[in-house]
Amino acid sequence: MADAEIALDIQNLKKYFGGIKAVDGCTFQVPKGQISGLIGPNGSGKTTTFNLLTGVLAADSGEVLYNGENIVGLRPYEIFNRGISRTFQITRIYREMTVFENMLSASSMKVPLREARARAEQLMEFVTLTKLRGEYGGNLSYGQQKLLEFARALMTDPDLILLDEPAAGVNRTLLNNLLDHIHHLQEEQGKTVLIVEHDMNVIMNHCEKVFVLDYGVKIAEGLPEDIQTNEEVIEAYFGHK
Amino acid sequence: MQEKAEIRSKYWLALFLVAAYTVPFGIGIYTDNVFFDLQWLADLTTVILNGIMQGGVYAMFAVGLTLIFGVMRIINVAHGELVMLGAYLTWMFFFYVGIDPLLALFLTLPIAFVIGVLIQKLLLNAVVGGPELTPLLITFGLGLTIIHIVEAIFTTDYRTIPYAPDALQISESINIGRSKIISFVMASFISISVFFFLKIHRIGKAIRATAQNADVAMVCGINIFHIYMITSGLAAALAVAGGALVSIQFGFNPETGVLYTLQAFAIIVLGGRGHYIGALIGGVMLAVIESLISFMIPNGTAMVEIASYGMMVFVLLIRPRGLMGPKEN
Repeated sequence: MADAEIALDIQNLKKYFGGIKAVDGCTFQVPKGQISGLIGPNGSGKTTTFNLLTGVLAADSGEVLYNGENIVGLRPYEIFNRGISRTFQITRIYREMTVFENMLSASSMKVPLREARARAEQLMEFVTLTKLRGEYGGNLSYGQQKLLEFARALMTDPDLILLDEPAAGVNRTLLNNLLDHIHHLQEEQGKTVLIVEHDMNVIMNHCEKVFVLDYGVKIAEGLPEDIQTNEEVIEAYFGHK
Repeated sequence: MQEKAEIRSKYWLALFLVAAYTVPFGIGIYTDNVFFDLQWLADLTTVILNGIMQGGVYAMFAVGLTLIFGVMRIINVAHGELVMLGAYLTWMFFFYVGIDPLLALFLTLPIAFVIGVLIQKLLLNAVVGGPELTPLLITFGLGLTIIHIVEAIFTTDYRTIPYAPDALQISESINIGRSKIISFVMASFISISVFFFLKIHRIGKAIRATAQNADVAMVCGINIFHIYMITSGLAAALAVAGGALVSIQFGFNPETGVLYTLQAFAIIVLGGRGHYIGALIGGVMLAVIESLISFMIPNGTAMVEIASYGMMVFVLLIRPRGLMGPKEN
């Protein structure tokens, strides 16, 4: 594992909200071309970490190296344009735009419209939303919104995809579908995927490496099976015996 | 529960609007200003048509205000001053260079766009997304500054542009000022073009995306600060176009912008803040009720403003979303 290439090098990342240390010196390296998981009890700083990585929140200190460049301090669209894309814990699609418009909205203005349209069509096909292309985002079921958000995150063909709780509120069939897509991206296209997830089945069965956060600090990392038996992790989740 | 309240507020608004439209007729009958003959009906038709023509122009610049609010949640109280500035720009091109007021749009609109972009870049970008009071006060100061600069250059004298002053005979007893018709056609054309720009063009889509959720737009690669500048430029262009179109119908001086700001506010409250079509409908509805009032109520012209601002207050009380605005969170 140690010799794997690194996609994202997170060094001593910090974010405090007043007295709350949401992310407190977090350090870990996301391996390239793999599916990794980021877990931890509620309030352990997973989503905040995502927000820091994507520029939605500004980090207080620390570095995030992506392709050798520190992306801390860049605006979200600048980070996005460098090839990092994300979805949200609670889906955030444009409710008053159609599925197709949602897709197109994530394409760069520099890409010719024809190409962007073709890409959108292809991705809608990929997540089986083609039939709903003219439907307003707000009219989709929650699962369909998740698929749409996922497909939208792929519009610019990002190299690194951050998924915030893709399993939450999604039925099994749809979830398996989504996981198939994720595997497809990783295996066929060599994408790096980082998943925040509470659903341990997803983490244990689909991630090659897992990072565990607690109180804004990484307390463990390793293979899923090692994490399961890690004392510190068990303590973080269940408290002292 | 919430849904019930939602439906109820819709009915209340409908009821209120029906009442608002009935009142002028009631007062008209009570004060013997309503006659049931053909001549009166022809006059009424003229008045309503005039109202619609007027409303088209108001709606166009109100759309500018609603765009800025929708995209940035900024209340731009200097919007009417840009309308006034548009009137002066048109006036200058007409009298000093001799350019037709409508052809002058080819010059005034790009100028307006640049002004809008500059206002955004220099004043509003720094405060967008923060507390709502700061941009409100900034635009308030900006509006006053514009008024006084224009006053210093042009004095407070009323100016007019004599343009197509004759009336168009529609039937024997219905006729409408040609300048009104031209303005309406122009305003409709511009409003519809902007609508399709927002609907179809990629930049338009990015503007709508930003309006719906700026945070998401950003993580989807949209440089929202560019979008803000384009929106401001577009809004300023709509205001200046409005100014050009009112300048060929009415006199204006540096203070008239204030009225247009208030008018635009009444319109977007009625139509629903941030809603494009809502602003267009609101503009026409408000102008029609205004012309009904000035037609049927004695001393009605003085009552007109009471009506539009009264309406604004009532709509806010009954249904803050107005006709078509998005749900408040």
